[in-house]
Amino acid sequence: MTEIAEVAGFQVALDRAYDPAGHFWVSMVAADRARLGLDALGVETSGTIAQLAFLPVGEQLKRGEAFGSLEAAKFVGPLVSPVSGTVVASNDGVVADPALVERDPYGAGWLIEVSMADTAELRDLISGSDVVPVWFAGEVEDYRLKGVLAE
Amino acid sequence: MHSLRIVDFGRVSALRSQTLWHALAYGVSDGGPPTLSFMRPSRPYVGLGYHRRLEEADLGACREAGLPVFRRMVGGGVVYLDEHQQFFQIVLPLADVPRSREAALRRLLSPAVAAFRAAGLPAELDDDNEIVVGEAKICGHGAAQIDDAVVVVGNLIERFDHAAAARVLALPDEVRAEVVRLMERFVAPTPVDPVAFRSAAIAAYGEALGLEPVAGELSEYERERLLELDVRFRSPEWLRGPDRPEPKCFQVKVRAGVYVVWIEQDGRRAVATVIGDEIDRVQVSDPELDGALTAALAEVRFVG
Repeated sequence: MTEIAEVAGFQVALDRAYDPAGHFWVSMVAADRARLGLDALGVETSGTIAQLAFLPVGEQLKRGEAFGSLEAAKFVGPLVSPVSGTVVASNDGVVADPALVERDPYGAGWLIEVSMADTAELRDLISGSDVVPVWFAGEVEDYRLKGVLAE
Repeated sequence: MHSLRIVDFGRVSALRSQTLWHALAYGVSDGGPPTLSFMRPSRPYVGLGYHRRLEEADLGACREAGLPVFRRMVGGGVVYLDEHQQFFQIVLPLADVPRSREAALRRLLSPAVAAFRAAGLPAELDDDNEIVVGEAKICGHGAAQIDDAVVVVGNLIERFDHAAAARVLALPDEVRAEVVRLMERFVAPTPVDPVAFRSAAIAAYGEALGLEPVAGELSEYERERLLELDVRFRSPEWLRGPDRPEPKCFQVKVRAGVYVVWIEQDGRRAVATVIGDEIDRVQVSDPELDGALTAALAEVRFVG
């Protein structure tokens, strides 16, 4: 059962690692197999998601490269991977129904799974049930100060 | 004060009316200056949003009318474009754009609204980030992050052929008729002086972004990218785009908040017109489809 905390008005899953650059989460579903999704702040700043597209299974991916694209409000942007590896699965459910990402970002709204080339990359992400809420609260505060989020 | 590069490409080919501003985006991503550009296609053609299924365009009708079809990297649907539309594009480094898409669009479309107003139109940016006069949309827009740049595109529509715009959409006849009826009400041309609009846009974007407008041109890097883009945009693979599932419930967006929605079952069809939160009109060829249409409307997600 995923442990979810409410932080600064947003839900945050505490059992996984986070990429601060893109607001993606990374959850290990096997020894070297990572599942990726958008966190609640990533969802909030995307707006109403209209379209999602992912690289095909089997594609090689480097950290910092796009593993797909997201469209909201006629604005298309890349989904930038926080890890390197091979795409081994993508979620057809969110392609057919992108609202799933908004309804359940930490569960059924996952995006892709990657067979990681080097799990040491996980050390560059933010993790730990004591660390994640503090980091996330700071992000929300920063976004509010910059006017990215409504008060 | 930093500069805002202004590039007016004038009248260009249909292909170049897309590839030029994509090249600018790569240039800005590579360290080029923030850029405001203008151009006008020399002939009609059809543009397809980045994620859209190619099947949403009526390729037979496009071929018959001699209209090329190009997939763009910004969002939105299938659109009819012609020489009566002046395109504009604002391209900024990613770091200079708010992270929220909604906030980014509002910031980068507001100067265009100011330009429309300076040209004599009572334009407003509505809650859906559509540029409107009254209930009618007067400017098509789209946006994309291309590498480390963000581009927002729009157009000044001097004349608009609603029937031609609906003809390039792959629609059943009764849906097309409804789309034309709604377009005539909700999409309006704005016959203002394009030169005045352009001058006002330059001033408005310069002021809003705190940048000094300076005339410029494509860099050598952008010229190289342009040639690559010319090839990419003509390739069948690019035109085909990403694989998309066929939706259970079809929809055409006329403007934000105005949609025609339809379902098909065994050759039968049910069509609904949705305006805001209201179902404005329903056409059902078989009463048995009533329930299916109601269920589809309850689940459909109205998107751009």
